[in-house]
Amino acid sequence: MENELGRTINALPGLVWTARPDGAIDFVNRRWCDYTGLGASESIGEGWQAAVHPNDLGELLAQWQSILLSGKAGDMEARLRRHDGEHHWFVFRVSPMTDPSGQIVKWCGINFDVEGRWRAEEARRARWWLPSPTRESHFRSIADSIPALVSLKLPNGKDELVNSRTLEYFGKSLDELNAASLHDTVHPDDHARLLAVSKGPGLQAVDPYDLEVRAADSFDIEVRLRRADGIYRWHHVRAFPLRDPEGPIVFWYLLQTDIDDLKRAEAQLAGEKRLLEMVAAGDSLSDILDALCRFVEDTAGDCACSVLLVDPDGPTFRHGAGPSLPKDYNAVFDGKSIDPTFGPCSLAATVKTPVIASDVLTDARWSASPWPGMMAAIDMRSCWSTPVLSGDRKALGVFAVYRHEPESPSQLQRDLIEQVTHIASIAIEGAQRESALKRSEAFLKEAQRLSSTGGFSWNVATNEITWSDEVYRIFGLEPGGPLTPDVTDLRVHPGDLPFVYEKVNQARIDGKDFGFDYRLVMPDGSVKYLHTVFHRTEDSDGRFEFVGAIQDVTQRRRSEDALGELRTELTRVARITSLGALTASIAHEVNQPLSGILTNASTSLRMLAADPPNIDGARETARRTIRDANRAAEVITRLRALFAKKAATTEPVDLNDAAQEIIALSLSELQRNGVIVRTEFAGDLPPVTGDRVQLQQVILNLVLNASDAMSGLIDRSRQLTIRTDLGPDGSVRLAVQDTGIGFGTEHAGRLFDAFFTTKSGGMGIGLSVSNSIVENHQGRLWAEANDGPGATFLFSLPRRTEGETTQDEATVHRYAAPGENGATSNTVSTQ
Amino acid sequence: MMVKRSLVSVVDDDESVRESLPDLLRELGYEAEAFSSAEAFLASDALGRTRCLILDIAMPNMSGPELQRQLALRGETIPIVFITAQANEATRLRVLQQGAVECLLKPFSDTALMNALKTATRVN
Repeated sequence: MENELGRTINALPGLVWTARPDGAIDFVNRRWCDYTGLGASESIGEGWQAAVHPNDLGELLAQWQSILLSGKAGDMEARLRRHDGEHHWFVFRVSPMTDPSGQIVKWCGINFDVEGRWRAEEARRARWWLPSPTRESHFRSIADSIPALVSLKLPNGKDELVNSRTLEYFGKSLDELNAASLHDTVHPDDHARLLAVSKGPGLQAVDPYDLEVRAADSFDIEVRLRRADGIYRWHHVRAFPLRDPEGPIVFWYLLQTDIDDLKRAEAQLAGEKRLLEMVAAGDSLSDILDALCRFVEDTAGDCACSVLLVDPDGPTFRHGAGPSLPKDYNAVFDGKSIDPTFGPCSLAATVKTPVIASDVLTDARWSASPWPGMMAAIDMRSCWSTPVLSGDRKALGVFAVYRHEPESPSQLQRDLIEQVTHIASIAIEGAQRESALKRSEAFLKEAQRLSSTGGFSWNVATNEITWSDEVYRIFGLEPGGPLTPDVTDLRVHPGDLPFVYEKVNQARIDGKDFGFDYRLVMPDGSVKYLHTVFHRTEDSDGRFEFVGAIQDVTQRRRSEDALGELRTELTRVARITSLGALTASIAHEVNQPLSGILTNASTSLRMLAADPPNIDGARETARRTIRDANRAAEVITRLRALFAKKAATTEPVDLNDAAQEIIALSLSELQRNGVIVRTEFAGDLPPVTGDRVQLQQVILNLVLNASDAMSGLIDRSRQLTIRTDLGPDGSVRLAVQDTGIGFGTEHAGRLFDAFFTTKSGGMGIGLSVSNSIVENHQGRLWAEANDGPGATFLFSLPRRTEGETTQDEATVHRYAAPGENGATSNTVSTQ
Repeated sequence: MMVKRSLVSVVDDDESVRESLPDLLRELGYEAEAFSSAEAFLASDALGRTRCLILDIAMPNMSGPELQRQLALRGETIPIVFITAQANEATRLRVLQQGAVECLLKPFSDTALMNALKTATRVN
C-alpha cells in the first residue's frame, strides 16, 4: 500500500507534500523534486524553504504559522523556484489530517502552479476572496502609501476595503461610507455623468458601482467628491473590474486621484488664454477688463474685482472695469485724483507694490479717509490692490479684489492676481499703443489733407493700385472706389496723357525711382497741377512695387506765379526808380552824343570858313555829326522803353512785412547762393510812410548786394541777417548785415555815388538809387563795417505820425516822371 | 610865320569825343592828342609836352578827378579843363577847388572851349 500510495501521490498533478503537526515537512513527492530540483531528503524539515522566492518566504511562513495555529485548511501563496531558476506563482493548499479523536496527526499540502494570466487572476481573486487579517493588512500597507483614494468594492457596490485616505477625505468610517448615498459623496451636477459612464445605456441604478447592472468594462471619469468639510474637489476616478475565470466581476478596484489643483490650473490657463485671445483680437479694453474681473471672480470665488486705469495727466483714475461692484462705488473713482491716503488702490498706484487691506475696519492707514465708510456701504471688509505696471514700470492701473470677510490672499490667490495683472498690463499697453497708432494715422491723414498730398502704391507684377483717401479727393473721386486704368486716366489732361504713359512704362521697365509733374482736368473744367514721386520697393512676396506720393501743387503754382508777377513788377519799378535817380545818367547818355554833334558841327563850320575851305574835312565831320545825332536818338528810344506806367504812392508801410516779402521773393536766389537768412524783427515796429514798392526795392537791393558780397566766400558761412528796430531818435531802422568781403575804408565815402562800383558786373547804380529813395522818404542810408567780417547797410526812416495821410507827392513822383514838365505816366509808352 | 603849336591832350572814354574834339582843337590852332583813359595818358610821352589837359570826369578805373590828384602829387602843373556830361554841381566845385581851370558841361560850344583854353594857356 505504501508503494501504491507513493505511486499515486507521485502521479498527482501537483507538488504534494506532508508535514508533521508542528509544521515540519516530512515528505515531498517526485514532482516536487522534479520541479524544484531539490532531492527528497534535502527538502524535508526546513530544506524546502530554499525553493521559495526569498521575497515571499516571510509572508509564507507567517501564513503557514497561522494555518497551523488555526488547525483549519487554508491557502497560501508564494513563488517557487524551478530547477532551472525560473519562479512560478504557486498556491499552497493545505488541510489537516486528524485521527478519530480529532487530533491532528499530519498536514497534507498540494501546490498548484498558478502562473499564467487567468490563473494569476484566480490567484488574486483567491487572495481577496478569502480576506484574512494578513491580507487586509497587506492591502492597507500598500493602499495607504498610495497618495490617492483607493477602495475595493464588492459587486453589490459596497466598499469592502478602503484605504485610510479615503476615510479621512470623506470623514466617514467604512460603515458610514457604505450607508451614505451618492448624494453624500459626489457633487449633484456630476451624478448624471457618473451614472452614464458607469452603467449600461438606459439603466437607472442609484449606485454606479452596482455591478449586477453594469455593462461596461473599466472606465474613468472626472467628478467632484465632497470632502469632510463640505468642499467639493475634482477627482479623476479610475475603476477596474476584477473577474473570476468564468467572467462575472467579483471586485471593483477604484483609484480616485485628486486633480482639483490641476483642474484649477487648467481652468485658469484656459481663462487666461481666453483673455489673451481677446487682447489679440483687438476687443475693446473695457470688454477685456470686464472679462478679466469676471474670470478672477469665478476662479477665486466669493469676491468682486475692479480695474482702475491711471491717467498720467492728472494723475487721476479712470474707470476700467468693476462688473460686480455697485455703479455708484465705481463712479467715485472715475476722474478722481490719486491720493495715496485715500485707499489701497491709490496707494498701490503710488508706491507701485501690492497693498493688502485685510480688514478695513481696523486699518489705521485709511482712518482719515472716507473710503472705509464706502466699503461698509457696499458690505466689503477686505481689499487687495495690485498695481498694473508697464514694461518700464509705470503704473498703468490697479487691479483690486474685494471680499466680504476680513482676509488676506492665499498663495494661490496671489499667483492668480499676479497673472491677471500681467494680462491687464498687456491689454492696457496694447490699447494705449492702439490709440497712439490710431492717433498717428489720424495725424498722417490730416497731414495728407493739409499738404494736399496723397499716398499710393502700384504693384507692378499684379498691376494692383491702391490710393489713400487724399488721392481720391485730389482726383475728385469717391474714396474706396475701384482703380481701373479707365478711372485713373480719366482726369489726366489729354495733353499730358502720352507723357504720363511714357513715364509709367519706362518705370515698369527700368524700375527706378522717378517723379514728374502733370495736370488734371476736373469736371468743372478747372486744371490741377500735380507733382508725383515714385519710390521703388518690394512687396511681401519680394515682387517689385512702387510706393509714392501725389501732391496737388495747384496752389503752389499759383503762388509761384503770383510771386513771379510781383518780382517782375518790382524789377519794373526798379527800372523806373533807377531812371528817376538817374536824371544825371540820362543826361550823360544824351549829352555825350550831343557833345559830339556840337563839336563836329563847330569843326565843320570852321573848316568851311577857312581860307581855303577844307571841304573834305567838313564833309567828314558833318558825317560824324549825323552819326552822333542818330546815336542820341537811339538813346532816347532806349530810355523811353524803360518808362513805366504809374506814379508812386504814399501809404503806411510795415517794414517787417515789406522785408518778409522780399525774403520770400529772393529766397530761391539766396539759397542758390548758399546764403543763410536770419531775421531779427522788432515786435512792435511802428509803420513808416512812403511807397512800399520803392522801399522794397531798397531792401531787395541791399539783400542782393549782401548776397553778392558773400558769393566768393569759401572759408566761412554766408550769413545774412535782416534786423529792424527803433533808432535812438525814434526813427524806424532796417539793417542788412552780411559776412561778406566788406568794403575798404578807401571806398567808404563813395559807396553811394552813382557809377561807383567794386563789382565786375555792377553798374554802380543800386546804392545810389537806394540812397535817393531813402532820402526822398526823409530818411538816411549808410553803411558800417562789422566787428567781424562783412558789412552792414542800414537805413532809417521817420515813423509815421498821427493823422499823416499824404506826403508831398511831387517828391516821390520825381522818380517816375522822366519828363521835364512833370509829365507823368500818361505820356509814357506802355509798351 | 611858323608858330609852334601848343599840345592839348584829351582824355575821355567816349570815342565820339576822342574823334571830334581833336579836330576842333586843330581848327582852333592847337596840336591835339586823344587818350581813352587816364592810365594811357600817364603812360605816354605826351605828359611832359601837354600845355593843357581836357579831362572827362566819369571814367571807368581812374576817374578824371583822380588823375587830377595824381598829377598834383607828382608836382605836375598842367592846366586842366574838365568836361562832363553829368551836371553835378558838387563835383564841379570840388574839381575847381582842386585847381582846375574850368569845368565844361557837355555839350559845350566852341566859344566856351576857346575861352577855357585861353584862360588855361594864360595861367600857364
